[in-house]
Amino acid sequence: MINQIKKHLDLILNDMERSPAFYIWVSILLSMVAVAGYALLLSLIYSLEIFEFSIHVIWVTMVSNYVFLVVSSTGLCIVTSLGHVFGMQRYELVAKRGVFLALITIIFGMISIGAHLGHPERAMVFNALTPNFYSAMWWMGTLYTFYIVFISVEYWLLARDELKKRAEQAEGVERTIFGYLALKKLDDSRLGAVLKDHKLLQAVGAAALVSGLSAHNTLGALFGHIEARPLWYGSYYPVYFLLSASFCGFAWLLAVSIGTYKLKREEIPEDYMSLIFEMAQVLALLLSVGLLFTVYKMGFGLFTPIKVKPIMLFLKGPFSIAFWLFEIAIGTVLPIPILLYAVGRRNITGVLVASSMVLVGVYVMRYDFVVAAQIYPVIKNGLPSYLPTFMEVLFIGGVLGALFLTYTLGAIFLPLKEERHGHTA
Amino acid sequence: MNMAVTNIGRRRFLKMLGSASVYATLGAAGVAGAQTQRYGKLVDTTRCIGCKRCMSACKRWNKLEVERDEMVTDRETDLSAQNWVVVNLRADAKNREERTYEHWACQHCIQPACAGVCPVRAIIKLPRGNVVVNEKKCIGCRYCYQACPYKVPRFDFVKRVTRKCHLCYDRIPLLNYMKPACVAACPVEALSFDYKHEIILEAKRRVSKEKNARYILGLKEAGGTDMLTILPARPQDLGLVVAPRKVVNQNLDKLRITGAGFMGVSGLAGLMYTYATLTQGKNKRDHDQSD
Ligand code: SF4
Ligand code: SF4
Ligand code: SF4
Repeated sequence: MINQIKKHLDLILNDMERSPAFYIWVSILLSMVAVAGYALLLSLIYSLEIFEFSIHVIWVTMVSNYVFLVVSSTGLCIVTSLGHVFGMQRYELVAKRGVFLALITIIFGMISIGAHLGHPERAMVFNALTPNFYSAMWWMGTLYTFYIVFISVEYWLLARDELKKRAEQAEGVERTIFGYLALKKLDDSRLGAVLKDHKLLQAVGAAALVSGLSAHNTLGALFGHIEARPLWYGSYYPVYFLLSASFCGFAWLLAVSIGTYKLKREEIPEDYMSLIFEMAQVLALLLSVGLLFTVYKMGFGLFTPIKVKPIMLFLKGPFSIAFWLFEIAIGTVLPIPILLYAVGRRNITGVLVASSMVLVGVYVMRYDFVVAAQIYPVIKNGLPSYLPTFMEVLFIGGVLGALFLTYTLGAIFLPLKEERHGHTA
Repeated sequence: MNMAVTNIGRRRFLKMLGSASVYATLGAAGVAGAQTQRYGKLVDTTRCIGCKRCMSACKRWNKLEVERDEMVTDRETDLSAQNWVVVNLRADAKNREERTYEHWACQHCIQPACAGVCPVRAIIKLPRGNVVVNEKKCIGCRYCYQACPYKVPRFDFVKRVTRKCHLCYDRIPLLNYMKPACVAACPVEALSFDYKHEIILEAKRRVSKEKNARYILGLKEAGGTDMLTILPARPQDLGLVVAPRKVVNQNLDKLRITGAGFMGVSGLAGLMYTYATLTQGKNKRDHDQSD
């Protein structure tokens, strides 16, 4: 039996995936997940207190990680829907990888917030039974649920042809599995014809985009509504979140797809190459708009009495390194010239480096955004440390580890590659 | 000083007698009418001696944990899932000599921000005035803590729910007369409990008559609260958390912010559409090449 599985795997895996480096990568990810599982278990057995940061700062890394992941998911949805919703055929190349990434980022984002909630099991029940329509959090939870459904269907529709092809090529168990995954039986029915129609994909994509953007807007509003937190309050964040979602989406797609090709030592298809440089240009443009937004936020904040103190935390307080180095330099300013240079020289590595820098910058930015806002009005003399607690780092590491593990497996077993899919051909 | 207290007590007693006869004549309708009467708690910090009996009475009634040394007078304590009421010594910033004990708990806002944001309606404002967390329903998201202008609802890491003072909603119904545990325990009548309009009158009377009583917290703050506190100075001078003198997190305001976001959404969709149409030519070229 084991030999049989091995034989199957041998057919699928390429050289790189049989190398020791690959096994090391997977085992690192697996151990990260295991450690996180241990932290989660401790929190269930003892109390959630092991994740506690300070009694007054109650939303920390799990929330910021959630925000980072769901914003990325919306961003990926924005980029991919340029293809099959807005009819830009060249973007259809990235549809499969983009939608798959959007799906796994939102799922692991939800896992991150689920571990933060005291009673995630009640959340589902009472969200349905006793909704509070005035609560942005209710809208966010509900809309993201719809979004997950739409985006799953969207990926399935995109991948179906490829899954069918794999079922035909394979034998035995694999054939059955892929056959079921593609719901091959439907093909002869009337539903099969509907499934093949490009219009259906467009409709599902549009539904995912609308629910995703609305959910995303309520996520921004969730923070924007809170009058008692001067830094969050106002309509700035709902709007800015949309912008940052867009550049996160481009950055994720560029970093992950180029990274995958490089690691697998595969050739990047020619038409994808030209799209990469186009996306890099758009990313540079979005980053410069983002910079303007940040300048506006800081400048405006300095003239709003209640916002001055929290803003100063960034400009020259405990968050200044995170702000100036990560958010401004690594996350926004430096990537712009790197991207432009890389586009001019048609240098793939430059794009990879710049987009990864954007992701790192945005990750730190999310953390600051969540934590710094909670310092005022209650904490008067500052905190001894603004770094996340050790246990939380372990847990979040595991969530990210699981995310990359899922992607790694997906990149091997599922159709993600930048090829034109059957619908348009 | 004590005269005033007995006044409240006597008036309440007469009212009880009065309402008893009204109940008798009107029956159930009368009872329902009386129930919608709003109650309030009045804290007079100028009378408080810092004995912390309210704290321990609250803990006893609500079966909360007592931490070591917490009940020592002058020991600084913070609200927590086990401390629904705290008593702390505060000095007036303008006059360091003058120090008072501040009895601090949930203010039971008339339009509570905490209840407005709770996604599952686990917090409700009862008609009598109590703002109560339903601990069987709370999902532990801590959004209410973020929204509360006073930062009152605290998370219980063991029970995994948010807990706070509920103005003893489980005591008031008894005969409509039982006071909250903290009020009943106070030895110097620094706390009192009555119909809301009565305590407003009483608070105003004390501020106009008594020397140290200068400020009533809760008339305007957060749009008005059902707990009023008589302070010897303005709350900001005493180092208390200052709430805006208007309703916090009004629904209209939430709508405005969400609406701005949706304008952003449509703007983004417009930009995507423009991007798609402006670069249409490029599409064709790529496609031709790949064909
Ligand atoms: S003080 Fe805070 S917790 Fe209490 S009712 Fe008002 S908003 Fe809610
Ligand atoms: S922590 Fe509980 S009471 Fe507070 S908003 Fe969340 S569900 Fe509601
Ligand atoms: S009213 Fe009741 S629950 Fe609230 S502080 Fe007083 S004793 Fe505790």
